[in-house]
Amino acid sequence: MKLKQLFIATGALAAALFANTAMANEGHGPALKHAEVNVTDQEQIRRGLTVFSDVCMGCHSATYVTYKDLMDYPEIGLTREQVDELRGDHALTEGMRTGLSPEDGEASYGKTPPDLSLIVAARRGGANYVYSILTGFEHDPAGKIPDGSFNEFFPGNRIAMPDPLAWLDHDEADTAQLEQDAQDVSAFLAFIADPHQNERRAIGCWVMGFLLLLTLVLWRLKVEVWKDVKH
Amino acid sequence: MLNTIMKTKLFGWVDRRTGAEAIIKSQLTEYPAPKNLNYMWNFGSLALLVLVLQIVTGIFLAMYYKPSAAFTYGAYTVAFDSVERIMRDVNFGWLIRYMHAVGASAFFVVVYMHIGRGLYYGSYKEPRELLWIIGVVILLIMQGSAFFGYLLPWGQMSFWGATVITELFGALPVIGEYLQQLLRGGFAVGDPTLNRFFSLHYLFPLLLAAIVGGHIHALHVVHSNNPEGIDLTKPEEKIMFHPYYTVKDAFGVAVFLLGYCYFVFFNPQAWGYFIEVDNYVPANNLSTPAHIAPVWYLTPWYTILRSFESKLLGVIMMGASLAILFALPFLDRSKVRSARYRPVFKQMVYLFFVTVIVLGYCGHSAPTPTLKLVGQIATTYYFAFFLLLLVVPKFEKTKPEPEGI
Repeated sequence: MKLKQLFIATGALAAALFANTAMANEGHGPALKHAEVNVTDQEQIRRGLTVFSDVCMGCHSATYVTYKDLMDYPEIGLTREQVDELRGDHALTEGMRTGLSPEDGEASYGKTPPDLSLIVAARRGGANYVYSILTGFEHDPAGKIPDGSFNEFFPGNRIAMPDPLAWLDHDEADTAQLEQDAQDVSAFLAFIADPHQNERRAIGCWVMGFLLLLTLVLWRLKVEVWKDVKH
Repeated sequence: MLNTIMKTKLFGWVDRRTGAEAIIKSQLTEYPAPKNLNYMWNFGSLALLVLVLQIVTGIFLAMYYKPSAAFTYGAYTVAFDSVERIMRDVNFGWLIRYMHAVGASAFFVVVYMHIGRGLYYGSYKEPRELLWIIGVVILLIMQGSAFFGYLLPWGQMSFWGATVITELFGALPVIGEYLQQLLRGGFAVGDPTLNRFFSLHYLFPLLLAAIVGGHIHALHVVHSNNPEGIDLTKPEEKIMFHPYYTVKDAFGVAVFLLGYCYFVFFNPQAWGYFIEVDNYVPANNLSTPAHIAPVWYLTPWYTILRSFESKLLGVIMMGASLAILFALPFLDRSKVRSARYRPVFKQMVYLFFVTVIVLGYCGHSAPTPTLKLVGQIATTYYFAFFLLLLVVPKFEKTKPEPEGI
């Protein structure tokens, strides 16, 4: 098999894999809404952090993100004063944990609210899924599930989480703001699921550039070394 | 450069005590290789590269990883936490872990290509039977290593994957139950399982390294096959491994690294194929995921298992599907090696490659009646391929092989 054939075969296999993935992402309930999420946008991530600490942290934690991380990650980059205000009595090295105990959570909602450190990585659709859930509270068309427990995008439609942003029956005038809040918090959660992702992609560009050059050089070298071999 | 080193006094001192120069000459610089090897012959050296990458990254991961299923906060455990600490707090821990996780899949991509090449060009035939058999042993140990390693993050798919696979052993008569408990270190997958899997995950790659040494030694005794599948008798048909194949392999390494680094830096989860979405959910023995499937490289064999109604039969056939690879050199008695000169075998082997991909697809997808039937048909052909090889040489009209290259 010559090099060209090998590339064609690899390409065909990759295409098949990709088509397969596209199919795998469909067929899980309604198509998810698209969230405008930018994990390099400090403004958006900070707004998302505010939504997270004001709303989500009533019940949820992000235990893998410490208060110190909020200063150290350049994508958030809060000042010491801002972090001090946010953390209250909690130590800098503590994770961001809710005040709601697991027992109280279970008593109130029937299950312990999950930790959100990895929620974007742990759900098919990632940030789009989180955004869709937050803006997916509707009246049950079948009229079976009570308002506040029906979510268009949740598997099985019955969700234990009460409508956190008060999306259901909100005023038309508030739509844009609520959508923005939902997207911002999705951006924050997408960022903290893999906090070195921006650094990773930045380094990756240099690595790929270097490897392209190396490949080119080694290819010419191979051709040069092999030019006298009749085969 | 190597020549300069070999002329130094220090090298001379070492050489008189080890015979290093003779080894380097016979195994590398003056090792004769067929001049017509195509790019399918690059995957052997790539497999060696990935093995080294896996061992090196693995050693660093083991410095930070803690095998314990003790709960820490919420549903999280010590093991899950330690992986997240590597991802978040260890300097370049994310790089090491993604290299290791992507490396596992890369290893199988490369090795499956390597095996496919061996099949297509008849590299398993006389005199290379033992070389092939050692290779199958390597494949089995790799699959074991990968399976043990996937438990370590202690996510949902780790836990339930290990539960399903260890349960298989329970289906065996008489010793089944004992074997299952031995593997798990108890009645269910738990903390003891995690500890022994970590131990075995460290042991197996070291075995692998030793057996790969044997594989390379066996290769250097019988020498490489070639795309024409003929024995090379004339010296002008061969070239020195160095520099011809060292530079060609280096070029192959660069192309491979382009693909590997794309996944490491831009797509480490590979849409859930390399690191499954469910494995970001901490293990929970009270909540079974909607769909449990092994990672893609084990799915063909998972489909064979699922194709039989009886669990015991499924386990036996899955074992047989791997064991039959050992018998391949003795099933196929055709004197002609390369598929280039075997028209019937060529069609069969192409269909076999497609079959394995279909089996993989079926094993990865949620089971449906259609997929089950497709999987059963593919399973039938998987075995038929090997059994047909017994009779194909009796009627196959092979094309004339060239005298030389």
